[in-house]
Amino acid sequence: MDQVQGFTAEEERLWHEEGALTMADALGGEELQTLQGAFTEAAERCKPRWLSEVAEGTKPAAFFDIPDPFSHHEFFLDLVDHPSYSGRLHELSDGQICFIGPQFRTVPPSLLSYVGWHYDVPFSNPLHFKIQLYVDDVPEEGGAFGFIPGSHRPGSGPYPLVRDPADMPGHHVYPGRAGTAVLFNSWGLHTAMVNHTGIPRRSIILIYEVFGKRIYNPERYRRYAHRMNTMDRRQLFGLEPRPPLAA
Amino acid sequence: MTPSVPAPVIDAHLHVFAKASEEFPRKVSDQVPAEREATAEQLLDKMEKHQVDGAVLVQFGGNSLETHAYLLHCLHSYPDRFLGIGLIPADSDAPGDHMDRLRDGSNGRIIGVRLSNLGGPEDPFEPVDVRHLPVYPIWEHAARRDYVIWLYPRARDAHVVPHLFEAFPEVRVVFNHLMVCPGPKFWWDKKGRPQADVPMPPETRYSTMGLKIGRILENTRGTYPYDNVCVHISGQYAFSTQAYPYPDLAGWHNSLRMVFGSRRMMWATDFPWILADPGYRECIDLVDELLPDLSVEEKEDVMGRTTATFLRFSAL
Repeated sequence: MDQVQGFTAEEERLWHEEGALTMADALGGEELQTLQGAFTEAAERCKPRWLSEVAEGTKPAAFFDIPDPFSHHEFFLDLVDHPSYSGRLHELSDGQICFIGPQFRTVPPSLLSYVGWHYDVPFSNPLHFKIQLYVDDVPEEGGAFGFIPGSHRPGSGPYPLVRDPADMPGHHVYPGRAGTAVLFNSWGLHTAMVNHTGIPRRSIILIYEVFGKRIYNPERYRRYAHRMNTMDRRQLFGLEPRPPLAA
Repeated sequence: MTPSVPAPVIDAHLHVFAKASEEFPRKVSDQVPAEREATAEQLLDKMEKHQVDGAVLVQFGGNSLETHAYLLHCLHSYPDRFLGIGLIPADSDAPGDHMDRLRDGSNGRIIGVRLSNLGGPEDPFEPVDVRHLPVYPIWEHAARRDYVIWLYPRARDAHVVPHLFEAFPEVRVVFNHLMVCPGPKFWWDKKGRPQADVPMPPETRYSTMGLKIGRILENTRGTYPYDNVCVHISGQYAFSTQAYPYPDLAGWHNSLRMVFGSRRMMWATDFPWILADPGYRECIDLVDELLPDLSVEEKEDVMGRTTATFLRFSAL
């Protein structure tokens, strides 16, 4: 297994000052090929049902999430604590990281961003953060992730209501090659930019939060307990509570 | 000082129909049998009682020219009170001619047509070329003749909607019933009301609105990108899982207000389906119930000024 790394000095600055950063080549080579192939197969299996749900109005047409993704391929679960970023995630959460859920998402090309600028959780929520892992190359015009640096800080803004995500002052777009991971603070304003390429954007969004009773749920990933072979992993997936930090 | 002109109150979406007859032919069904009627006079009685100045009558009971007879009758009988929205036969090979005949037959008071089936690709990953959509000639004609599109798309067509808005920025569009794009699960309840089984806020909002709103109020920094589109504040009885005043829909109403603003929101009752439950008066009060933070001016917009301006309701 690769060496687990913490933040570089520049990454630490970006995390604290801007709230988002990219890690190029977080996945590569054989791992990336495995991911791409398994993603394609799982999506093909699940798409007919999704189309039915879209027609019924019970699922959005604007994005397609592979349901229950960890059941489709063993490697999918290993992405949650992949060594290319797990050290950073531990560091930013003082070791209190807890995994909440995955989104294995394909976004069809559209004239609109499907989300627009938004935050995921208010500042009253404990630190909440995400990894967005690009499955394919995502150019700047291909529905890449956008973030407003500094918007993760209480008191930042105000930010205007905009018609087009590209009109937001001060935003930054995070394109990347396949295998690039974008780490961002969910307090901050972010979006998927409009995809002008005509090519669907595939990415995996992994959602984390610092441990707390509110999110503690040992049943959520109980069925994968046989793969939780270390205490840290059991705590990451919520099978065990994280011990409280020393005062 | 000149007193300001009071804003009109306009019911922006409802249906009237007569008993089925040779004079006023219409489709009949178990829910709307031949002897059932919801006449313009019954409506006007409610409007008088509750100080509603005007209404938009939306064709019900068929899409052929013949079945528009009662709508035309009402528009001729009460030209200062009503505007009309027509329907187009799905198999019409000359929809533009049909639209023109409706307009001409109503002395211009049928101002547009209602569309539901847009006929886009079922798979949202397939490219959309609006010129190949079966409704393209209708939108093209609406653009040419300044007709209004009264839009109530099916869920499966939600992803097609922005393509049409983008292609026809000059066409005025009124998104029906809270911007919900319903799936096929429709039924009638014991109170004679159509019901739709849809999650609220609607999942289709990601396609039609392009904003992640609804779950957390006010977490978005976006506004609706198409100036030519308004939305109805109506149909709550069909989508809510709670009794009047439908508190489960309050969040979605506030989201619509934030994104559209009062100048693009239109109050409507969907008469006559609401007569038994919740009642006409209660539908008027819903705006206060579900949008309690509107200013006086904003409420006037929603209750009629937007409709009067957007639809050019010249009599009011």
